[in-house]
Amino acid sequence: MSNSVISVISRFLEEYTSTTPTKLKVVDSYLLYILLTGALQFLYCLLVGTFPFNSFLSGFISCVGSFILAVCLRIQINPQNKGDFLSISPERAFADFLFAHTVLHLVVMNFIG
Amino acid sequence: MTAHTPHPRKYLALAGAQALTPSHHLSLSDVARLQSLLSQPFTDLESAYYSVVGLTKLGAVIPDQNEVCHFLKSELDPASVDSLFFAVETSQAISGCEIPVSNETRDILLAAVSEDSTMGQIHRAVSALGSLGLPLASQEVIGALTARIEKEDNVMAITSALLAASRLSQQAELGGILEEIEDLTARLDDLGGMYLQFEEGLEATAMFVTAAYSLSDHVGVEPPLKEDQVIQLVNSIFSKKSWDSLAEAFSVASAAAALSSNQFHVPVVVRTHGPATVSHSQPTLQLLVTDVMSQPLTSANVLVESANAASSKSSILSQAPFTLNDGIFEFNFMSSQPASGYYQFTIAVTGDKRLVANQVELKVKVSTEVAVTNMDLSVVDKDQSIGTKTTRVDYPSKAKSSFVADSHQYFAMAFQLVDVNTGVELTPHQTFVRLHNQKTGQEVVFVAEPDSKNLYKFELDTAERKSEFDTISGTYSLCLIVGDATLENPILWNVADVVLKFVDEEAPATIQPKTLYVPKPEIQHLFREPEKKPPTVVSNAFTALVLFPFLLLLILWFKLGANISNFRLSPSTVLFHVGHAAMLGLMYVYWTHLDMFQTLKYLAIIGGVTFLAGNRMLAQKAVKRCEKGIC
Repeated sequence: MSNSVISVISRFLEEYTSTTPTKLKVVDSYLLYILLTGALQFLYCLLVGTFPFNSFLSGFISCVGSFILAVCLRIQINPQNKGDFLSISPERAFADFLFAHTVLHLVVMNFIG
Repeated sequence: MTAHTPHPRKYLALAGAQALTPSHHLSLSDVARLQSLLSQPFTDLESAYYSVVGLTKLGAVIPDQNEVCHFLKSELDPASVDSLFFAVETSQAISGCEIPVSNETRDILLAAVSEDSTMGQIHRAVSALGSLGLPLASQEVIGALTARIEKEDNVMAITSALLAASRLSQQAELGGILEEIEDLTARLDDLGGMYLQFEEGLEATAMFVTAAYSLSDHVGVEPPLKEDQVIQLVNSIFSKKSWDSLAEAFSVASAAAALSSNQFHVPVVVRTHGPATVSHSQPTLQLLVTDVMSQPLTSANVLVESANAASSKSSILSQAPFTLNDGIFEFNFMSSQPASGYYQFTIAVTGDKRLVANQVELKVKVSTEVAVTNMDLSVVDKDQSIGTKTTRVDYPSKAKSSFVADSHQYFAMAFQLVDVNTGVELTPHQTFVRLHNQKTGQEVVFVAEPDSKNLYKFELDTAERKSEFDTISGTYSLCLIVGDATLENPILWNVADVVLKFVDEEAPATIQPKTLYVPKPEIQHLFREPEKKPPTVVSNAFTALVLFPFLLLLILWFKLGANISNFRLSPSTVLFHVGHAAMLGLMYVYWTHLDMFQTLKYLAIIGGVTFLAGNRMLAQKAVKRCEKGIC
């Protein structure tokens, strides 16, 4: 059982490193970074309690929001999905990404206290 | 001047049960105070006029009349209308004083009667001429007054016109001036239905009353004042008990005289002489029936129209007369043998058609003495219903032996309260049984209730009531307390001593008197505790830890070969990156210094620039990408 899991994972990683364009790998490493930051924040909150709650929320929501926006960017700039996003060029996706981040940061900064 | 026959009172409303009665009048001490104010020594003619004429109106005697007459003659200025008025009017009030008058004086006075003089001047001239007995053309005066009323519309001026008109011949046409009374009445201010007065003040109101009745008496026509209005005027004029000036005191004295002796309306003041209480020792109700100056109306007939018991509303009396005894009206109420309590009397004063507010409501109390009879004390066993022996105690002695009651028994008391004079059973408001522990000072009070036969019973069950006593056994002195507003002899009677034995007795704690008014224990304020924060080490460690994934990101990017080799140094690119960095910097500044509005303002500016630059930059990139072939 574990053998098949390991083999699935190794196969997945192989395919990933070979077939994914570099551009997308850059975005994926960014996603990993956001994920780790969010996880660490959550771990801290579990350890020491929720005071001050607003700061925890703003930090965590910043991570979650950034993750989601980065995922959207990844989907939109993936050449394989070009058919689904005919009217949205990669540059447009990036511009949307930046604008959404501005709004997210405004909200997070307001809430951070 | 002869009076015309008074017309029937067509302006007076039916005297209903809610008719207004005077709440203020001049009591004898008020009249004395007014007289002493008016008796002050005077230094000029005007003060002399107010003092002498005012005192005359109050019915007082003027002392040193010769000296007053000399004073008048020496102070007189024959060229001044005012001076002549004061001197002449004052001389009329004292006997044997005649002011010499010359032709010039007469001419000056006659010349003052014209529509070019002020109303006050016309009034003074007319009065002086009348008092000196000099002839006067009434029609001319009326013409001048009527013309003057058009120009001078204020209250004092019209009052002067009324006073002037009252000095003219009765055959003259005074109807027009008479109508001014009604106009002035409409200008009075009603205060809460109790007071009616001019906003010009007390002097104006009092002089108006004087003038209105003076003219009405002269003409023989009833003034258009309703009964309630008359009483409201009485309240306004006599509510002030100390007067600021001689003129004000004079106006009050004039109004008092006018209201007590005019032909139409004489307000009646009915007061009790002493408290409105009758009892066996004091069986008569005494009333003082006077006019507004506290002069007794001895010619009046006073009778009790109806007397009803306040609680049951049953009628006790109807149409019973008072008898006049030395200026006081008396009525022996006890002869009707009323039960003790409160009674509502309606008293009517008749005998003179002019009387106003002659129906008065009065609350009379009949009090009596109470006696406690058939006081029986006993200790009863709970198990058997056989009553143990009953001890009879007579007031005011105390039972010789004390009664013992423990948890198997209860203590019982029965008695009756009767009216000493009539023998009727009473149920006073307060019938209490008080038990007082002599050692600890504790006292417990119970209420004794009457049964249907008005027999009072009190039972003390030691087991049931132990909480009231805090289960402290011991000797309690038992007192009976009887009291009521209608009882003249409240009773506090130490009937017996009762020894109570409780089970489950705790150690008797010293009873502290109720510490109600002693400072309470201080409350320590608990300041809001700061939240529990993790130790600084932990939070610093995690701060470093959170920055670690960023390092990982940079390493991964480096490994992937991400670079900025494609960076075109064009103005839009530079501007975009600078603008974007500025926006991130603004976020930091927002966190530390700014508020949302300022941030939005700056964000709009920087964001606008960044957007335009970024748009150009990305468009250039897109063009470049299209050239490469991937479009």
